[in-house]
Amino acid sequence: MSGTARPAGPNRVAFARARFIAGFLALPVLLYLIYVISPYAQAFHIAMTNWRGVSASPAFVGLENFRRLLGDGVFWTAVGHNGLLLLLLPVLTIAIALFFAFLLNAGGSGGGVSGVAGSRFYRVIFFFPQVLAVAIVAVLFQQVLRPDRSGMLNGPLIALGLRPVGFLSDPRLAFWSILAVLVWQAVGFYVVLFSAGMASIPREMYEAAQIDGAGRAQMFFRVTLPLLWDTVQVGWIYLGIAALDVFAIVWVMTAEHGGPDHSTTVMAAEIYRNAFQYFKFGYASAMGVVLFFFTVAFAVAALRLSRRERIEF
Amino acid sequence: MGGAMVTETANTGGTGRSGRTRLSRSAARQRRRARLGPLSGLSHVALAVWTVLVVVPILWTFLASVKTEDEIFGSAWSMPAALRWDNWGRAWEQAHIGRYMLNSVIVVAFGTFGTMLLGSMAAYVLARYRFRGNRAIYLLFVSGLAFPVYLALTPLFFVVQNMGSVPLVGPLIGLDTRGGLVLVYIAYSLPFTVFFLSAFFRTLPGAVAEAAFVDGASHSRVFFQIMLPMARPGIVSITIFNILGQWNQYQIPLVLLSGQSKDKWVLTQGIADISTAAGYDADWAALFAALSMAILPMLVVYTVFQRQIQAGLTAGALK
Amino acid sequence: MADHPLSRRELLRSAALAGLLLPAAGALSACASPAGGGGGAASPAPTGPKTAANPLGIAEDRPFEVVIFDGGYGDAYARTIHEPLFTGKHGKVQIKHTATKEIAKTLQPRFAGGNPPEFINNSGDNAMDFGALAQDGQLQDLTELLDAPSWDDPNVKVRDTILPSAVELGTYDGKYCVLEYANTVWGIWYSKKLFDDNGWQVPKTWDEFTALCEKIKKSGECAPFTYAGKHPFYIYETILTLAAKIGGVDVLKNIDNLQPGAWKAGAVATAAGAFAEIGAKYLMEGTEGLDHIQTQTAHNKYQVAMLPCGSWLENEQKDSTPEDFGYAMFPLPSFSGSDALPYGTVHSRPGEEYFVAAKSANPRAGMEYMRAMLSKEGAGKFSELVSALTVVKGAAEGRTLTPGLESAAGALSQAGTNVTYFRFRQWYKELHDEVAAATGQLMAGRLKVDAWADRIQKKSDEIKDDSSVKKFTR
Repeated sequence: MSGTARPAGPNRVAFARARFIAGFLALPVLLYLIYVISPYAQAFHIAMTNWRGVSASPAFVGLENFRRLLGDGVFWTAVGHNGLLLLLLPVLTIAIALFFAFLLNAGGSGGGVSGVAGSRFYRVIFFFPQVLAVAIVAVLFQQVLRPDRSGMLNGPLIALGLRPVGFLSDPRLAFWSILAVLVWQAVGFYVVLFSAGMASIPREMYEAAQIDGAGRAQMFFRVTLPLLWDTVQVGWIYLGIAALDVFAIVWVMTAEHGGPDHSTTVMAAEIYRNAFQYFKFGYASAMGVVLFFFTVAFAVAALRLSRRERIEF
Repeated sequence: MGGAMVTETANTGGTGRSGRTRLSRSAARQRRRARLGPLSGLSHVALAVWTVLVVVPILWTFLASVKTEDEIFGSAWSMPAALRWDNWGRAWEQAHIGRYMLNSVIVVAFGTFGTMLLGSMAAYVLARYRFRGNRAIYLLFVSGLAFPVYLALTPLFFVVQNMGSVPLVGPLIGLDTRGGLVLVYIAYSLPFTVFFLSAFFRTLPGAVAEAAFVDGASHSRVFFQIMLPMARPGIVSITIFNILGQWNQYQIPLVLLSGQSKDKWVLTQGIADISTAAGYDADWAALFAALSMAILPMLVVYTVFQRQIQAGLTAGALK
Repeated sequence: MADHPLSRRELLRSAALAGLLLPAAGALSACASPAGGGGGAASPAPTGPKTAANPLGIAEDRPFEVVIFDGGYGDAYARTIHEPLFTGKHGKVQIKHTATKEIAKTLQPRFAGGNPPEFINNSGDNAMDFGALAQDGQLQDLTELLDAPSWDDPNVKVRDTILPSAVELGTYDGKYCVLEYANTVWGIWYSKKLFDDNGWQVPKTWDEFTALCEKIKKSGECAPFTYAGKHPFYIYETILTLAAKIGGVDVLKNIDNLQPGAWKAGAVATAAGAFAEIGAKYLMEGTEGLDHIQTQTAHNKYQVAMLPCGSWLENEQKDSTPEDFGYAMFPLPSFSGSDALPYGTVHSRPGEEYFVAAKSANPRAGMEYMRAMLSKEGAGKFSELVSALTVVKGAAEGRTLTPGLESAAGALSQAGTNVTYFRFRQWYKELHDEVAAATGQLMAGRLKVDAWADRIQKKSDEIKDDSSVKKFTR
């Protein structure tokens, strides 16, 4: 497209056009190269050194860091947690969000095609966690989940004479607490997103289904879900990326930054720990490289799957 | 990944289709009146449960913020004997929450403005002009969405430090400066912004722009006066995401604004610091007050603009 | 954001593409890496003429920076005691004071960038790794300070005014380069009032200790024992001290030296088993999820009778301790008659690390600042203000000490030479993290002693094999 239609000398037009393109791209590209591309490129180099952060001349150690990584149990525990999050965070978040979005849009009394009363109110409230910073949510839930009677959840349990639950202190539970907080924060956004998608589904499709005698559940699975499938896939990809990227929640909320006993640690936390606590920048960068390839692998997998499953209508 | 900015917020996505009929409100209301099913009640129960899950932890934090230390460590649900607003005073003055908040506002304002300006410029050119290298530059930007930011942190520190020794502007964009942070925010917000805005620009009709070109308008005039206003829904929604993303950022300021420049710290840093500090100074009451102070303005701003925020979000989706 | 399936696919495809491109780009920019930040202290450190008043020959007109860890001791002692003491002698030297709770996060970038502050209080959870610092020559050699005349008496060298253990512990690679200033004594802390009111006696043997725990538990008065569950260091410290008491000081030396099988020694297993039993039977409810402040506050509220801690405890809790609480501590009880070390053995070591950055702009001023800290006045006032002993001999004499500190000082003098300590926490932070994680599980009953020892030994062996980690021996 573009404005090649200008009635002037073709050279002058081409020049003005080129100048415009260069002018508009120069600054963004420059910033991006300096601050984003060059650090990433350097990180790949650091991954092959034994740099400990304070020396100006790290030694090149080739793939030594990666070899060590293979035998690093804690790192693989972290990988496992990211894997579990990759699976569960999208599934839970999307399932809950779809459920609520469906209620908001079609759960009303109007025979399945209208939303419940006050749906705007719910949408406003549900979105709340999304506007809070992750670090702030982490501090908040650290208090909510405290193990003694001052904890928001354990206080009532203890008052009822029950044993307090070590939400964050029991290594068998801590990971699920993390997952719950992540879902807590994510759901609102997807409710709003799916609601928007559902609102755009033509009414006639519901009405047609209704005439065919479909119940609400059938309507959801036969009309809503297929028509919303693209949006759901996009949500899944975003949540997947978020799952690979979890950091602040784990780092701020848990004991031992990923504990107790590594039960909540994730790749990002191990990278940060090895870099900024053990000062093994080379080793930490190697972890970063691995995380990078996991991400790429996820992206490729998502690409292939979404291509195969795309539903045209 | 996704550039630091994107992932910390939850990201948007596009929904499907275009061209739809919206049921008018009154029609919906009529239908609702027509049949009152039992499911409506159950729907409300389910929705109310989640509402409670969302609201109660936040309210509980507000409650704790006016308790004394003893009350905080006492029974979780006891009411405070008196409202201890001095906690808020301590959090505001001694913990500098006011200053951190102002810093966040400044950095996010400039960061988001810069992101939107540069991002929309790049996205527009990449979306609507054919030239050699277009594809490569576009892919370069978009590939940034997949990078885990943790990989870049250390080298990024050196990059920013080196920027500090650039003649003239160095002191404004080096380490421990808000300017440096703003530039980094912009750079790391670009992949997301360029990706979505270029998709958006591609969908805009070209007729108006063509007409303007025929009238002799320059390329940049067409962009600023015609295309940009046309892209407003997309711009609004991406702006919202960038504001949220940059406001939430924790990792990057942690690395770029060290403890010696506490006066420039942003809010997330401040809160995390107080939560660490509570370990040593045991001022839990102030921690809760600071938390409330960080939460409240976001909720107020969001509630006031929720219509625009959600409309912005869906406008992009429904375009 | 209109959903063009194409554009989404592009995102993914380009991500995949980036996977191929980036390593190549990395290779190209290889030489631009960390060194880029360089700089360092290219110019020689400033000096001034050496005089009686200025034995280290600092430049009287050059500023320097003091970075204090704003933790248990706060930073007021530096602002109100040491800095004025210093400027009293060197009026023209400007001091820039920085206080932070996150030492590493604050300073690591500055070290990497060759722009470190002169004087650093490298302490707390987020301290920088001394091993890494030593490895890279960032620690100023303080031998000259040791041989300089002391602040109070020009005829006595600094070396002779401080505890020998301070010099030993501050020595890395044969060089004295870290000032361990505060002298800490560990023990089991209790409230004299609570013990007196209930007629409980300080236990001297392990049997007496468990009997006391049983008695307290039965009394329903409070829980017998707790520790900072979120920071298992507090409990592995007692396990190791008990192990040293049972098996002798070599137990800890072997551990510090990463000896094969050091963690599987009989004494270590016995001590771990003993505390695992305490963990199973006598811990305060919820201990594993509480941090040091929460458990210590519970202690102040008489919800629990005893907890292990260092002598900084009283100061840390000063705002929440009842007036008549009566902090006191007792050394670990004897495990059996065949213990290698006698009753009264304590874990004590100089702590709270300070160093001068070798590559800072004005390292000599940092050393002179240390000389001021090591004066009788600097150390004595420090003890009074923050309730902590120092490594300066006799500096606390004649000062009014709080009851807890008095009790700790008493325990230390009773111990005499029966003092144990371990150093791997400072040398190998990774090992410390693993010991802490495993010990938390041991105390919660989720890990048996054997498995606990296996895990830690494995980590110790890994570190021993990791060529990038500098090794120390004692």
